[in-house]
Amino acid sequence: MVWFALGSILLPILGSVLVLLIPERHVKKAGQFFSFLAFICGLLLWIGFAENRDSFTRDLLTIGGINLFGITIDTLSVLVNLMVVFIGWLICTYSVGYMNAGNREHPVTEGIPRFYSFMLLFIGSMSGLVLSSTLLGLLFFFEMTGLCSWNLIGFYGDQKSRNSALWAIILTHFAALGLYVATAFVYINTGSFSISALGNLNETEKIIAFGGILLASWGKSAQLPLHPWLPRAMVAPTPVSAYLHAASMVKVGVYIFARTVLEAGAVPQVIGEVGAIMAVLTMVYGFIMYFPQDDMKKLLAYSTIAQLSYIFLAISLSIYGSELAFNGAVSHIFNHAFAKGLFFLVAGALAYTTGTRRLSMLRGILSKLPVIGVGYIAAAMSIVGSPPFSGFFSKFMIILAGFQVGWHQPLILVLMVVTLVESVGSFIWILRWMGVNVFGSPSEAIAGASPTPVSIQVVVGVLILMTLVSQYIVFLLLS
Amino acid sequence: MGENLLYLLPAVPLVTALLSFVIRSYRIVEVVHVAGISGLALLSLGLVKSLLGGQTFFALDGMLYADGLTAILILLIGTVGFLSGFYSIGYMRHDLAHGEVKERDLSTYYGFYHLFLFTMILSAISNNIAILWAAVEATTLGSAFLVGFYKHKTSAEAAWKYVLICSVGLAFALYGTILTYSNAFSVVQDAHKAMLWTELIKMAHQLDPQMMKLAFVFILIGFGTKAGLVPMHTWLPDAHSEAPSPASALLSGVLLKCALFAMVRYYAIALQSVGSEFPQTLLLIFGLLSVGVAAFFILVQNDIKRKLAYSSVEHIGIIATGLGVGGPLGIFAAFLHTINHSITKSLLFCTTGNITMKYGTRDATKIRGMKKVAPLTGFLFAAGLIAVAGSPPFNIFISELMTLTAGLKSGLFWPMILLLLFLVIAFAALVILISETVLGSPPEDLPRGETNWMGLLPLGILFVFMAGLGIYLPAPLNQLLQDAVGVVLGH
Repeated sequence: MVWFALGSILLPILGSVLVLLIPERHVKKAGQFFSFLAFICGLLLWIGFAENRDSFTRDLLTIGGINLFGITIDTLSVLVNLMVVFIGWLICTYSVGYMNAGNREHPVTEGIPRFYSFMLLFIGSMSGLVLSSTLLGLLFFFEMTGLCSWNLIGFYGDQKSRNSALWAIILTHFAALGLYVATAFVYINTGSFSISALGNLNETEKIIAFGGILLASWGKSAQLPLHPWLPRAMVAPTPVSAYLHAASMVKVGVYIFARTVLEAGAVPQVIGEVGAIMAVLTMVYGFIMYFPQDDMKKLLAYSTIAQLSYIFLAISLSIYGSELAFNGAVSHIFNHAFAKGLFFLVAGALAYTTGTRRLSMLRGILSKLPVIGVGYIAAAMSIVGSPPFSGFFSKFMIILAGFQVGWHQPLILVLMVVTLVESVGSFIWILRWMGVNVFGSPSEAIAGASPTPVSIQVVVGVLILMTLVSQYIVFLLLS
Repeated sequence: MGENLLYLLPAVPLVTALLSFVIRSYRIVEVVHVAGISGLALLSLGLVKSLLGGQTFFALDGMLYADGLTAILILLIGTVGFLSGFYSIGYMRHDLAHGEVKERDLSTYYGFYHLFLFTMILSAISNNIAILWAAVEATTLGSAFLVGFYKHKTSAEAAWKYVLICSVGLAFALYGTILTYSNAFSVVQDAHKAMLWTELIKMAHQLDPQMMKLAFVFILIGFGTKAGLVPMHTWLPDAHSEAPSPASALLSGVLLKCALFAMVRYYAIALQSVGSEFPQTLLLIFGLLSVGVAAFFILVQNDIKRKLAYSSVEHIGIIATGLGVGGPLGIFAAFLHTINHSITKSLLFCTTGNITMKYGTRDATKIRGMKKVAPLTGFLFAAGLIAVAGSPPFNIFISELMTLTAGLKSGLFWPMILLLLFLVIAFAALVILISETVLGSPPEDLPRGETNWMGLLPLGILFVFMAGLGIYLPAPLNQLLQDAVGVVLGH
C-alpha cells in the first residue's frame, strides 16, 4: 500500500524531469505514460483500501527525532488521490489532442515539454499533498502546486497570461502564510508536525491554528476575499483549467480544511460559524457573477467558486457534529471534480474546433458535435445537481445535513435557506445556457467547426460515464 | 592535525595571492588560481571534519582558534570560494575576449581574489578580538579592489563609497572592541588574556554589564554596517552590483556572514554578561527593519544585481531576526539560514554573470525571454529566485519556517506576522522578476545558446546543494550547526 502511495507521488515527479531530457517528439507519449502509471498506483491503492479498510499512517522522513513527512491512508486520502491521478491521466491524454497546431483558439507549436513537465509535477505534488500525514508536508506541497500553477497558467507567455499567473501565485502564497503560522504553531505547542497533533491543542490554540488553515484554504479554493486569481486564471490552456481549476488546485483548500477538521477531534464552533458564513457569502457572490458572463470559461470559473463554497459549507457543518455533512463534502469534492473537469474540457473542445468560447455564439452543439453536446448536458446536469447525475447525491447530502443542523441552529437555518435559493437559481441559469447552446440548429460558429480529435472525444466519453458513476465509487468506501 | 590546518588555511590563499601578483602570464595565473582554490577547499573541508562533535583547536599562543562557529564560516569560504573561483575562469576569459579587461588585469583580479579569501579566513579563525577587528577591516580593503575592478566611473564610486562607509562603521566596532578589552582587563589584569575571545567568554559573568551593553551597541553598529543591516546598508547595493559577478557572489555569499559572525562572538558574550533581553531586542529590531526596508527596495530596483543585493540585505535581516529570537531553535535557524543563503545567493550572482555575458546589460526591463535564449541559465536563475523567495522545494524555505517557529515559540506573535508580510512583498518582487525576465518574449536579434560549460558546472553544483538542503538535512551538517549553537549558548 505504501509503495502504491509513493508511486503515485514519485512516478509523475520522475516523469516531469524525464520529459525535459528526451526528444520533443516523444514527450506527449511519455507524459501520458507517467500519468497513467500514477493512475494505476492510485487505482491499486483504492482497490487495496476498499478490500481491507485499513486506515493507517506511516512516517517516512524523520530528522532529529521529529517526523517531517509521512503518508496517511484513509477513506478521504485514498478517494481524493484516486481523483487526482485519474483526472490527471485523462488531462494528459486530452492534451495530446488539444495542445497542437490545429487548435483554432490558440495554436500551440512550442513549449510542449515544459507543459508536460509542470503538469506531471503538479500531479505528483497534488498526490503528495493529499497523502501527507504532516502539516509540513501539506505546506510543502501547497507551495509546490502554487509554483506549478504559476507556470501552467502563464503557459502562453503573453503579457496578459503572465500577469494572471502572477495573481495566482502571489495571492495563494499570501494565503499560505496562514498555513505557515498554523504549522509552526502546532509544532511549538505539541512538538510534532503531525496533522493529528491538532487534536492535542486546547480550544484557544485550535482557534488560532484553524484561523491560519482557513486563510490558506480560502486562498487556494478561491473564496472571498482571496478569489480574484481564479477568474483571471482562465487565460490558461483549457486542459490546465480543467485540471487546476476544477479537479486539483482549487481542491487543495477544501482538502486541507477537511483533513484538519477530520484529525482535530472537536473543533471550536466559531470556526464552523465563520466557515459557513464565508461560504454562503462567496456562494452568493459567485452566483451573482454568473449573469454578466459571456465567456464560457469565466462562467465556469464563477460556478467553481460557488461549488467550492458548498464544500466549505459542508465541512463547516461537520464541525457541528454532522457526519452526513462530512460525507457530503467528500462526495462533492469527488463528484464536482469529474463534472467540472468535463465541463471545462467541453469548453476546450468547443474552443478547439470553433475558435470561440463565447456562449452567445454557440448553438446546436448536439447536432454537429454529438459527443461534445452530450458532454455538455452531463456536465451541466451534474453541476446543478439533477438526478441521476452524481452531483445530485452530494448536493442533496449537504443540504439535508444543513437542515438537520439548522433545526437547532438558527444561523445555519438562515444560511441553508440562502443556499437553497442559490441552488435553484444556478439550476435555472446553467440549464438556460444549456438549452441555448446544445439544442436547435447549428449557429455559424458551430456549423464551421473542425473535426474533434479522437483523444478529446475519448476523454469526454470517459468523463460522461464518470458523472454518472462517481458517486457510487464514493459510496463503496463510505458504506 | 587541526592545529596545523589553522596555519595552512590562511597560508594557502596568501601564497596564491602573492604568486598571482607577480606572474604576468594569465594562463599560468589561472593554473595557480585553480591550485589555490582546490587546496583551500580541501583544507577547509578537512578542518570542518576535524571540528565536528564540538572539537576546538588553538594555534599561535591562542591567537588563532577554531570551533563550531568557525567551522560554518570556513565551510562557506571553502566551498563558495572554490565554486565561484572556478566560475571566475570562464567569466574572466569572456571579459578578456570582449576587451573589457586587459591580460595584466587578470593577475590583479586573481591576486585580490585570494587576498580577499585570506582576510576572510583570518577573520574566521582569529581568537584575538583586535586581530578579528583588523581582519574584518582588511576584508574591506581586499575586496574594494574587486568592486572597483572594471574601473568604470560607477564602479570606482561604488568602491569608494564602500571603503568610506565601512571604515567609518568599523570605527564603531573598534570602540566596541576597546571597551570590551578594557572591561576584561579590569577583571583579569592580563593584557594577553583580555584580548582573547575564549577567555572573554569564560569571564563573561564578571564583566561590567553596563559597559558591555555599550560595547555591544558599538559592535552591532560597527559589524552591522559591514554585514549590511539597515540603516547602515547604503554602500551594499552599489558595491555588490558593481563588482564582477563571481566577486559579488563572494561578497554577498560569504563576506556578509564573516562580519555577522564577528558580531555573533560578542552576542555570545553579551548573552552571558547582560542577559538575553538587551542584545536580542536590538537584533530583532535591526533584523525586522532590514527585512522590511529591503523588501520594498527589491520591488522598485531595475538593475537585477541591485535587486539581488537588496535581497541579501533582506536575508541578513532574517538571520539577525533569528538571532534576535534567540534560544537554541532561533540560533540554529539563523545559522542554517546563513548556509542556505550563501549557497543560493552565490548561485544567483554567478547566474547574473551568465546573463550579463549574454544580454550585455543588467537592466531588468531589457532582459527578456531567458527560457528561450538560454534555457539552462534561465532555469537556474528562476530556481535561485524561487529559493530566495523562500518557497519549497528549496533550502531557504526550511530555515525561514524554522525562524518563524522559533519566533512564535518565544511568544513574538506580531513581530513574526510582520516578518511574514515583509517576506510576501519580497516574494512578489522576485516572482515578478522571473515572470518578466525568464518568461517574457526574447529580443529577436539575440543569438540563442548558453555560455560555456565552465559557466554552468559550478552553478549546477550549487543548485544540487540548494535543492538537496531543501528536502534533507545531512547528519554531519546538523551536528555542525548544533556545535555552533552550543558555542553561542555556552554549553
